[in-house]
Amino acid sequence: MNFLIEPFSQPFMQRAVFAGMAVGGLCAMLGVFVVQRGLSFIGDGLAHAAFGGIALGLLLGASVSHATWIALPFTVLVSLGIAFVLRRGRMRGDVATGVFFAVSFALGVLFLGLRPVTAQSVNVETVLFGSILAVSNTDLQIVLGVCVAVAIALALTWTRLAYATFDPELARLSGIRVEALDYMLLALTAVVIVVAVKTVGIALVSSFVVIPAATARMLGRSLHRVALFAVAIGVGGAALGLLLSYHLNVASGATIILTLGAGFGLALALRKR
Amino acid sequence: MSADAPRASRAPRSIVPPVEYTGPRHFTLPDDGMQRVLVSDKVSVELGGKRILHEVSFWIPKGEFVCLCGPNGAGKSTFLKTVLGMIEPTSGSIQILGQRAGTANKAVGYVPQRKTFDQDFPATALELIVANLRGTWPLRVRPDERERARATLRRVGGEKLIDKPLAGLSGGETQRVFLARALINDPALVILDEPTAGVDVKGRHEFLEILAEISASDELAAILVTHNPAAIARCAERVVYIDGRLIAWGLPHELLGQESLSAIAFSMKDHANNLPPDED
Ligand SMILES: Nc1ncnc2c1ncn2[C@@H]1O[C@H](COP(=O)(O)OP(=O)(O)OP(=O)(O)O)[C@@H](O)[C@H]1O
Ligand SMILES: [Mg+2]
Repeated sequence: MNFLIEPFSQPFMQRAVFAGMAVGGLCAMLGVFVVQRGLSFIGDGLAHAAFGGIALGLLLGASVSHATWIALPFTVLVSLGIAFVLRRGRMRGDVATGVFFAVSFALGVLFLGLRPVTAQSVNVETVLFGSILAVSNTDLQIVLGVCVAVAIALALTWTRLAYATFDPELARLSGIRVEALDYMLLALTAVVIVVAVKTVGIALVSSFVVIPAATARMLGRSLHRVALFAVAIGVGGAALGLLLSYHLNVASGATIILTLGAGFGLALALRKR
Repeated sequence: MSADAPRASRAPRSIVPPVEYTGPRHFTLPDDGMQRVLVSDKVSVELGGKRILHEVSFWIPKGEFVCLCGPNGAGKSTFLKTVLGMIEPTSGSIQILGQRAGTANKAVGYVPQRKTFDQDFPATALELIVANLRGTWPLRVRPDERERARATLRRVGGEKLIDKPLAGLSGGETQRVFLARALINDPALVILDEPTAGVDVKGRHEFLEILAEISASDELAAILVTHNPAAIARCAERVVYIDGRLIAWGLPHELLGQESLSAIAFSMKDHANNLPPDED
């Protein structure tokens, strides 16, 4: 029992677990749509775009935590760009994402290099792997706020988003504004990714999007079941991972992802039977 | 002539039947009080600066089953999309039950080509059908909706498919479910774009039997795009042949009997049997 309770008596662990569960659940919910649409790499792509945005913020003189406010509009713009190219270019999602991914990451590297030599040095590791144990009260409030906003947006559009994900053409024939939903989905994903990058980091955020959705897909037979499973897996994986990392004294972000990965493996084994 | 016609009509896709347009050039509706489900009035379509359809005119009386034929790239799918209101004609117009195409979508049921939808999507046949009933994806299906979907599935001989996941259906079963989906709103016209392409022989045969029943109905009109002569023989009450423009529009035996149109049959036959190209 102490195994469960003791870690969370510490405020930093409380903040971490709330932030982790919120980000895990949110990424998982968006992940269901994103993965089903064959855009599994969007998480990675947008995380790297977020890096470009953070670097731009640093170049403009912001601190690492304030740079998020530059990264947010930057990443949303990139996501809208991807959505636009997908619509116009009749291009596959992985190609479009790949291009934006590379360009915004390169921009990020360029921006970092352009900073005056006198500028404060940046802990790249924090940006890459996140710092969930260093989540502040303000960070947590932002995460929870975004969580509520995105959940409301998804709840309002769920039935249309699902139809458009199944088949855009048929959805359009039923009078659904498919284009608007596409842009909305990618913009929401961008917002969530930027927030998530703060906690789990650029390198790991994509697995938050992909793994719960992929695991849930093996367990559920209808889309809303899959979505419920995915959220449960995202939330549970974050909490369990944090707990394990605390006791084993290893990196928390990585442990969360490995926990999710173990869940995926379990589902795979159960399905095969 | 058909006996010694070369079986190895090697490039049927490029064969444009050497037929002069014999239909009415100036299209006027005869005022005979016949109820028309669809009227295509000199429909021209350009896409990306390219003229795909040129002044295509014909009409479909209530309950008539029309087979729409033509070589690959003839503009058959483009015509269907225009009927569905997904493409605006550059000139001319399509009316469905007297309304402009695209404004009466519940009056038109659509069976897409197979494999256009996400095969891996977690959904059951029931959800797919109810989605068309509601216009949004169902979170929960109400008992009355379920009953209605079941009745429609029964019509296409697929009642036991109702709770099956889409991913597990065979090609023929998938198309049956999609047909039920198209029929759930009780349309006056159902549109099928090569529904049995990629379906095995048995599935194709079964599907054809269901189409034949639709053909026998006096209420439901249909446009079936097909390259399959068996489908025309079994279902068609009228055949429309287009290749960019309207080449022919008439009764099946009239058109298939015409020597000048024999090339059609061969181009279709090769599609149906899916013959690999001979040597060459
Ligand atoms: N969006 C588009 N922009 C430009 N050209 C197009 C577009 N869509 C189709 N086309 C062209 O229009 C022509 C007709 O296409 P369509 O798909 O209607 O033919 P089809 O008769 O259905 O052929 P198939 O038997 O192969 O299905 C083709 O040459 C195609 O390349
Ligand atoms: Mg076609």
